[in-house]
Amino acid sequence: MRPSVEEQLQGTCRVLEKVVAPCVADPYARTILDGLIANLRMLTSALPTVPAFLANDNRSTAVLLRQLQPVAVPELAARIGEALDHAEPDATDLRALELRNCELRELFSAALCGIDLPPALHAAALSHMSARAAAAPMRYVPTSSPPAKPT
Amino acid sequence: MSGVPMMPTAPGAARRDDAASGVRQVVAGLEALIIDAIPTARDIVLSGLERAAGGLSRENWSLDATWNDATGAQSHRLMLMRDAAGTLLATDRAREFAVLGALEGTAVPAPRAHWVDPDGRRLGAPSIVMDRMPGTCDYLVLNGDRPLAARLNLAQAFIDLMARIHAVDWRARGLGAVLGVPTDAPSMVELAHWEAEYRRVQLEPHPELDYVLAWMREGAPAAAAIVLVHGDFKPGNALIADGRIRAKLDWETAHLGDPLEDLGWVTNPVRRREHQIEGCWERAQIVAAYSELTGRGVDPAGLLWWNVFSCWKLAVIQLTAVGEFVAGRYDRVFQTPSWLYRPMFQMMETRT
Repeated sequence: MRPSVEEQLQGTCRVLEKVVAPCVADPYARTILDGLIANLRMLTSALPTVPAFLANDNRSTAVLLRQLQPVAVPELAARIGEALDHAEPDATDLRALELRNCELRELFSAALCGIDLPPALHAAALSHMSARAAAAPMRYVPTSSPPAKPT
Repeated sequence: MSGVPMMPTAPGAARRDDAASGVRQVVAGLEALIIDAIPTARDIVLSGLERAAGGLSRENWSLDATWNDATGAQSHRLMLMRDAAGTLLATDRAREFAVLGALEGTAVPAPRAHWVDPDGRRLGAPSIVMDRMPGTCDYLVLNGDRPLAARLNLAQAFIDLMARIHAVDWRARGLGAVLGVPTDAPSMVELAHWEAEYRRVQLEPHPELDYVLAWMREGAPAAAAIVLVHGDFKPGNALIADGRIRAKLDWETAHLGDPLEDLGWVTNPVRRREHQIEGCWERAQIVAAYSELTGRGVDPAGLLWWNVFSCWKLAVIQLTAVGEFVAGRYDRVFQTPSWLYRPMFQMMETRT
């Protein structure tokens, strides 16, 4: 399909930057517009990687939950077991991937904070969280503010 | 081009109408505030009204005001801070007004606050009007174009200012009643406050933040003293002119608490570029200077806790922005603050 999603997003950024932004005189509106364009550029490159990131995170969180299940309190262990019995969603269904991610991460949070973890499990949990943070595809894009005016 | 229906009203025109009505509301509200405070005020002229680009939590408007009253002709350069529809920090204008009033006559340079509209009756949203002081804000001033010696002077001036804030006699200035004196360890009080904020704005599970929260609960330090804490101490909210700090701004998060809270904010490793000068003014120098100025020792474990807390609080503030953006009340796009997680884990690991 042409223009592709990426081409449309890139084109939108270009038009906003070259056509619209120069006409925006209000300092507040211009700052907001610059931020929105920067975010749209970030999304253009991040969007294609989001489903794979979520699918991957769901897989690795499930592996960790399987390890945490035996040391969790019975009620939580049962909830983990139930969640792990569900089939993983289609890797192209973004909404289903997000919902699954929330479900697994909520259980992970409960297990992580509710149990005094053995050192190996603690290290695995920390490593998992660090790796996820490093791989997160969407990031805040700071934009430089206009020079501060003397008051 | 044929076949494209004409819009009955142009959206751009509607937006301009919104902006114009916002300006009219500010002008009318300011006039009413002045008359409330000075019933003899006549011939009020408000000029140069402009909304500044900065300000993540509030609308900042600059303006000049003149009027005649029973004491003669008046002329003021003013700043209006008005709560925005969406904000990163839900704070109280009346409280900020009281803090600014209490700071008058102390060694802490801060703008003189003139009037407050605590419930937005006049200005449509809670607002405060204060003097517009000379100087510019530059959050990266310590790593900007000035020569190293000038930047080091400013760095020393910032820590000196922090020490002066912490030395304010808050009891004598009535700030205990305004801000509330912590009845538990300030670390636990702040943690409870920001945990409530976290739960209020949370849109999805964040195991990383829950994990850090659990760690902080276990190791919350006691305070060596209860002082006036600025709560967002940074070069970005100070006015600098002629190489000197002319005013400390943004007192909306001021509270009574642990002096290490402000010190933890400025020694927070994720904000090095704002607060430190590589090789010259780093954590060790900042802590040594603060200790020398205040005569108080700095407990390394306590400071580390406040460093972690600073990152965690920053994460909660960013989540607030995410929530407000999603709700359609905030114009800037923020993301889940995953960039803060690893620095927090690394700091925590140095203590465990």
